Amino acid sequence: MRRETQNVLLVLLGGAILKIAVNGQYLRYVKPALQPWLILAGAATVGYAAIGILQDLRRDGRPAGHGGAAHDHVHDHGSRSPWLLLLPALAIFLVAPPALGADKVARSGDRSVVTQPAAGGTALFTPLPAEEAPLLRMSDAVTRAVWDDSGTLDGRQIRVVGFVVRMPDGSVDLARLVIGCCAADAQPVKVRLQGGDLGGYPSDTWLEARGEITPHTATEANGYVPAFVVSAVREVPAPAEPYDS
Amino acid sequence: MVTTHARPRPKPARRITSLEVFCAIIVLALIFSGRLSQLLDGPGVRTGATVFVAVCVQALPFLVLGVTLSGLIAAYVPPGVFRRLLPANPLAAVPVAGLAGVALPGCECASVPVARRLMQQGVPAAAALTFLLAAPAVNPVVLAATAVAFPGQPRMVVARFLGSLGTAVVMGWLWARFGRVEWFAERVRRMTGRGDRPRWQVFTETARHDLAEAGGFLVLGGLTSAALNVLVPPSVVDTLAGQLVLGVLVMALLAVVLALCSEADAFVAASLSMLPLLPRLVFLVVGPAVDVKLYALQAGTFGRRFASRFAPATFVVAVVCALAAGLLVFGPSSWGAVR
Repeated sequence: MRRETQNVLLVLLGGAILKIAVNGQYLRYVKPALQPWLILAGAATVGYAAIGILQDLRRDGRPAGHGGAAHDHVHDHGSRSPWLLLLPALAIFLVAPPALGADKVARSGDRSVVTQPAAGGTALFTPLPAEEAPLLRMSDAVTRAVWDDSGTLDGRQIRVVGFVVRMPDGSVDLARLVIGCCAADAQPVKVRLQGGDLGGYPSDTWLEARGEITPHTATEANGYVPAFVVSAVREVPAPAEPYDS
Repeated sequence: MVTTHARPRPKPARRITSLEVFCAIIVLALIFSGRLSQLLDGPGVRTGATVFVAVCVQALPFLVLGVTLSGLIAAYVPPGVFRRLLPANPLAAVPVAGLAGVALPGCECASVPVARRLMQQGVPAAAALTFLLAAPAVNPVVLAATAVAFPGQPRMVVARFLGSLGTAVVMGWLWARFGRVEWFAERVRRMTGRGDRPRWQVFTETARHDLAEAGGFLVLGGLTSAALNVLVPPSVVDTLAGQLVLGVLVMALLAVVLALCSEADAFVAASLSMLPLLPRLVFLVVGPAVDVKLYALQAGTFGRRFASRFAPATFVVAVVCALAAGLLVFGPSSWGAVR
């Protein structure tokens, strides 16, 4: 491959990374903390390629074979691997894959992910906010349902936000995906919705559900998925940051 | 109507270059972008596409860090400095190189270009390869992530550190004894001189070239990992509870095919609470040392002949070292309890 093409490919890829880092689309793929690094990496990629292009332009006036140019040409012809850089760039610019959703949850089987408690001890949970139905992060609500012995959830109405997952056995779950680094390591955390009128919502609809978690329903046997008795649901727009952390 | 003209027309003096091919691909992709999106509309394919882009986006900053370091070393560090810093005896140089891995807080994508540059700077291959294996696994960021993922089980952090460092050192010693220089691609063996170019140009040109080359292979690894991520059902893990030998084997293979970033794999391992600690430790030790993404990067950087020997050997050594570290840290009960 020619140096010129390599440079154009790098500009394209760096530009794609810069674009999603600036417009917020990167949150579909990685954690918010990575944003400054993405901007730096995108700028560096474009920068290295731009310097290469400028050097080529300045060399064009001189006789061929002068300096390092001839050597670089021979060197770069050998490999075709940079062509692959086109794939992520085109995927970002033309397809822009959406955030992971119900399909990923369904693939993970009947399992929900909770952080392990400290060995042998009860994890300490702060009491819920005093308001009538506080909004909890999905992972917070499920962790409490699984590990909290002090009963901070018992008899309390809470609100959680997630997307609908229709499981093969007919049950309806409300789920979030938790990522540690990028979407490749996404793991579901979810509650099983019971009661309420859920007939109309297809998979991947974002809902805010209000209701109560039935104590002791999240067990190892059911993959730590607590039952959530719904008192009200409303459709909400998909959040800008789709993943729970 | 553009497509009908994009066909190569015979020109007397000039051949079609990659630049023209590139333009043709871009034009075609733009014209058929609607069709392209339709093609990717199956839920499984969409999940795979998201994972693919995620792996690439996540890895690029680390790769850029790696090639930048590599370029800086090539331009500003006189050849021989690292060799003088290391003990002359290769057997002693290997563990020192392993501990030096603590200093590169990144994941595996950053360490591959740096290790190659170290070799070209005169560092013995055994020490450079030890650094390659140790850096992604024993650095403070990864160990901290492991501690967060396994709260109340600091022994997991210790076991991971020992297992990974052991893998790196044993592989370095094995290379010193059995490794052959001719397994490396020709471009790795060639010592690069600076020539008469100014230093900053050596820096940017090295970084640019490494980025284009390694980036392509990183994409290949991302593609493989995304496909396997979708195709391998996570339920394979559910059937393993209580089966230690099978658990260890499956977790080792999962680490290879999933190709998770070493800063995130601890969270995945922590979530597989139906498994005993030992198979999960194997997952954490094997993952940063050998996986499909890393294999693609190594094959691209050091040559396929090298990678096809190095990766399987690393796999075996990593499993053995993880089991040994587990036995040492968790005690014999970690074996007996589940057998």
